[in-house]
Amino acid sequence: MTTADGARSGQPRVRPRPAEDRLRRLLVMLPWLMERGSVPVAEVAERFDLTDREVATDLELVSMCGLPPYVDELIDVFIDEGMVHVGVPRLFTRSLKLNSVEAFELVAAGRAAMEMPGADPDGPLGRGLAKLEAVVESDLATTAAPDTGAVTVDLGRPALGDVVADAVRRIEWLVVTYWSASTDAVSERRIVPRQVFADRGHWYVLADDERSGERRTFRLDRIESVTRTGEFADPVDEPLPTPGEWFTDAEVERATIRLADHARWVVERYPVDEVVDHGHELTVTLPVGSHRWLERVLVRLGPHATVLAPPELVDVGRDAAARVLAVYRRGDGAGASVRS
Amino acid sequence: MADRVERLTNLLALLLETPRPLSLVEIAGELDGMYPVGLSARRGAFERDKAALREIGVPIESEIVPGGEYAGQSRYWIDRARYELDDLELDRDEMRALQVAVAATRSRAGSDSAQLGLWKLGGGAAGETSPVVATMPSSPALAPLRDAVSRRAVVRFRYRDVDREVEPYGLLLRDGFWYLVGFDRVRDDRRTYRVDRIAGEIEMGEGGSFERPRIDLREAVPTDPKLLGTQTGHVAEAVVWISASRAAAVVREVGDDRVVRRHDHGAVEVTVPCGNLDAFRSWVLGLMEYAEVLAPDEVRAEMISWLESMAGAR
Repeated sequence: MTTADGARSGQPRVRPRPAEDRLRRLLVMLPWLMERGSVPVAEVAERFDLTDREVATDLELVSMCGLPPYVDELIDVFIDEGMVHVGVPRLFTRSLKLNSVEAFELVAAGRAAMEMPGADPDGPLGRGLAKLEAVVESDLATTAAPDTGAVTVDLGRPALGDVVADAVRRIEWLVVTYWSASTDAVSERRIVPRQVFADRGHWYVLADDERSGERRTFRLDRIESVTRTGEFADPVDEPLPTPGEWFTDAEVERATIRLADHARWVVERYPVDEVVDHGHELTVTLPVGSHRWLERVLVRLGPHATVLAPPELVDVGRDAAARVLAVYRRGDGAGASVRS
Repeated sequence: MADRVERLTNLLALLLETPRPLSLVEIAGELDGMYPVGLSARRGAFERDKAALREIGVPIESEIVPGGEYAGQSRYWIDRARYELDDLELDRDEMRALQVAVAATRSRAGSDSAQLGLWKLGGGAAGETSPVVATMPSSPALAPLRDAVSRRAVVRFRYRDVDREVEPYGLLLRDGFWYLVGFDRVRDDRRTYRVDRIAGEIEMGEGGSFERPRIDLREAVPTDPKLLGTQTGHVAEAVVWISASRAAAVVREVGDDRVVRRHDHGAVEVTVPCGNLDAFRSWVLGLMEYAEVLAPDEVRAEMISWLESMAGAR
């Protein structure tokens, strides 16, 4: 999991760990250790996303806990020469039940994965998810035969999703015809898809674009056709960007916009750097991918949004609205001929 | 003062092991020296620990002694059956598949609860790379609403400035938003609510208080947001001109059967539902100068006045 402080980025982690988090981690670590008996410290650390030192500190601490007359020592555990050894299991042999957030997020993750290109509805995920939902439901339900299906995910699988996702796995060059919103033109490009992702209601492919020589993000619904080439590229060594970094390139221009209460959906829909909630309205700062994008957002928001900064973007909405209005007023358009 | 993790671990162990409910005095006695001596400091520390354990999902039971020498005293314990996770009996490939699922989804809020859940089930770290990934919008309302669906508990919340009383049927993620589908008791009708627009706290009633119909949520919520909130049977439609450059994409989106006219140079006219005017306006304006509403007149007039309010009337 990605954390706000970038804990996974490889550098040594120095992070404060609240007592609740340490206990939470211990309660999942202990049942697993007891089943295994002896495990290298490094393996424990990797599995539970901790440093070796954190593993040692927490296990040493818990080995000192004790409650006579109930138990002399809670956990018979010691570390010797890089190995964790667990003796007789006493307490914490079973995991704590899922809390409601964990249950929700696991079920939602499973349901979403079932919707992804290439997913097999009758495969192990479907079976595992059914077992998970049955347990989660029976913990809450008031009837003997609980009903599942409380959570449904519809990611709107795009028509070309499967073929592009396949190309990611094969690392295959594709030739695509793509409509670009910023230029309103359809062009043919050669790309190597690296990752397919769904975000905020749209599917995208992150791909190496031959023409620009850069890694670009393309919306799948704007790809009009795909041709496989049978040519293959090399795998990438550097990690792919994590979600949230997809659009939030630091070099992208930012705009600060005042949004009426009615326009709160913007915060849900687009990546934002900062939100100040004034109750009846919001001030947000967000990356502006392109002028065309900003124009579309502003025209759709109409009176519910005002660009505050930078100055060169203040009139973008007004100018765009005037341009659309001109279509309605041109008189020679298709509209006039139909209405007459 | 003992390390907080040590104290929490000992408290958890004590409440799990005790053969009978324990008062705070007894707990402090058993955890010798771990709690402050002063009465109010001790109570404060204990309440914080209790909240921390509940926060991570530990069900702490309590009772108040009804009579006798200790009448009114609170006593605590943990019911092992409510604490321990049932064995899901996941096969190795099923566990692996759940791990892959967690790796392929990201909570937009950066929550790691799915990973913590995996660990509880006995799975490992989900890892970071997946060829296909989806970000999941999150909201603190989702988990309690899901619980309410399973418990069949009526929920009360504020939505669009109106207090609602809803029998929750299920949660649907579509088009980047979570929706709650349920039966609105005040309006006496099935309704759909955007979860991120639910304002403030959600109040939950008693479990088992309604019958949950077996419905397919995908069917219950129209795929086209332009149809949301419209009455079934009466579908208002608009005729929209689409420029040649966007015609192919729009026809792919709305379907061939909605094309009412094809112009010589590739432009088309399509019919589109406009019952939900907000969603309709948003859709048409998303096409910018490549779309023009032709009919009906009142919808066209509405578009013009919207644009004039932005551009400044001339």
